[in-house]
This record gives sequence, C-alpha cells and structure tokens, in this order.
Amino acid sequence: MKGVVLRFRVMALLAGVMSLLLWFVELPVVYLMDAPDLEAKVKWIPFVHGYIYAFYVLTAIHFTAKARFTIKRMIMFILAGTLPVFSFIAERRVSREYKF
Amino acid sequence: MSQSKSRRSPLFSTFFPILLVLIAFLSFIALGFWQLDRAAQVKELQKPYEEQPLVALSKVAKPNSNLDGASVNRIVEFSGSYVAQFDAPNQIDKKGVRGTWLVGLMEVDGGGYILVVRSGSNSDLPRGDIVVTGRLFHRQYEDLSDRSAGQLSRLDPSILVGDYPGDYYDGFVLAKSELRDGISLEVPRVFLDPAAPTIPGYYWQHIAYVLIWWLMALVVVFLPIYSRFREREGRAKE
Repeated sequence: MKGVVLRFRVMALLAGVMSLLLWFVELPVVYLMDAPDLEAKVKWIPFVHGYIYAFYVLTAIHFTAKARFTIKRMIMFILAGTLPVFSFIAERRVSREYKF
Repeated sequence: MSQSKSRRSPLFSTFFPILLVLIAFLSFIALGFWQLDRAAQVKELQKPYEEQPLVALSKVAKPNSNLDGASVNRIVEFSGSYVAQFDAPNQIDKKGVRGTWLVGLMEVDGGGYILVVRSGSNSDLPRGDIVVTGRLFHRQYEDLSDRSAGQLSRLDPSILVGDYPGDYYDGFVLAKSELRDGISLEVPRVFLDPAAPTIPGYYWQHIAYVLIWWLMALVVVFLPIYSRFREREGRAKE
C-alpha cells in the first residue's frame, strides 16, 4: 500500500502543477494574448499535461481500488486531476489518511 | 400498479445502468477517434500546400460572410472597379522584407467590396473595369501601424465599413495580375507564401487526448465490475 500511495501522491502533485500551468499559463497565452513567440514557448504544456493526467488516472484508480473506496470517491479522485488545486487537495487528504 | 412497478424495476436496475455504461463507453471511444482524426489532420497540414485550379471569386466567397477555411489560399478571379487606394505600412512579404503595400478597395461586379493588395511600391490607381487574379487570404487581426486617412493599420475590410458603407468580402486578395481591356498592368507585385491553415493543438497533444478518452472508456467499463467486486467482498465479510 505504501508504494501505491506514494505513486498516487507524486502523480497528484505533478497533475496539479500541470493543471495550474494549463489553466493559468497556456490557455491565457493561446486564447487571450496574441503572442506567437510566447505561444511557441508554452506549446509543451497541453501535451505533457495530457500524458501526466493519463498516468494520474491510472494511479488514482489503483490507489482507490486498493483502499476499497466507493465508486463515487473513485470518480472524484479521477476528476480531481482535471481541475487545478483539486488534485493537491486529494493529495493532502491521502497523505493525512495514510501515514507510513 | 405495484405489479407494473415491480415489473419495471428489473429494467431500471439492470438494463438502464448497462445502457448508461454503453452510451458513456461509446461516447468516450468516439471522442478518442475524434482526437485521432484531429491528429491526422494536423499531420496532413504539415505537408506542403497543393495548388488548386483558378476559380471565380463568387464560387468560394460571398460578401458579408466569413471566409471559409477551404477558400483560403485559392487563386480567384473577379472583375470590378477600384474606388480607393490605401497604404498598408509595415507589411512583411515572402522574403521577410518589411514595406508599405498599396491596397486597392475594389467594388466587385455583381456587388460587394474587396481589398486587393496591388503592389509593393507606388503606382496609380487604375480606372475602369479591371480583371484581377490573385490569392485569397484571411483578414489580419493585428494592427501593424496606426490608422489614418489613406492608411490601413491592418488588412481587414471591417476597418473601412465606416468610410465606405456597403457589403464586404472577408479577407483580402493578393493580386498576381490585373488586366484592363485585356492588357496587363505592370506593377511590382507583392509575393507571399500560401497561408498555413491551422488546427488548434499539436500532433502528440491530440494523441495524448486519444489515450485519455480511451482510458476513460475503459474506466467506465471497469467501474461496474469494481462495484460488483466490492458488493461481493462486503457480503463475504458479513
């Protein structure tokens, strides 16, 4: 269980950072600013976020299944990776609940 | 009443969730295929532009309508008469040279105004009926200079509507040739590469989204199995 929790926590933090970058850096640069140079510099964000979120989903399912969480909680954990800050909240809750 | 309710309940408890799972599963699979298509389109657009045959302007564009993506870069032909000419400073040509372009406002035969980039240096505005052949481009969104009388800040017909009320074709035409009474008007032309049409996003970004949507489809199938597993586990504990 320790490894599962650790993997989930790492992925939750990474997914949270990438969500913040996506929502507050990449999207404003692409859709609110007309700056092609800057756009080229942030183009890695959505695709890195995409792959990290996929791995986050896998670790979230693995962790919530191992922890025997309800389906509702499992879905909440999966969705937490899509919104900025929510995956940080999930990570904090898990780290409080599972101390090794 | 209670009989019909009891007859309906297996339908709701068994078939309705199965239907929901099936709909969600198929939707996620379809979304994955949609992103896969976008990835393929992005790859397609990275190939060099293939020239298409000359077409009449009226076949690919209409006044007061947004320029269709498929019409951009088409070589079009139309006739009409120029009503005004403007300078468009700070425009950048194919070689990256910045200069002031001469842009004519033409009243097209059949109705509507269109902007025509005529030349990269001074030339008088020709009078009479002119036949123009040129490439159609999207309007510019960014101001490259200040706007003043006789000067366009960007190649965008919307900025002229106040001064010349009427119907406008979207975008502008980069003239390759102008004919008056069958005789070619020789002016130094401006050259530009065909505009690269874009689809938002990048190839590997779309592939990442394919992965996510299909992963979600698997999750949708996994959740009921997990739910059954938990129920069975709960019963075993009791």
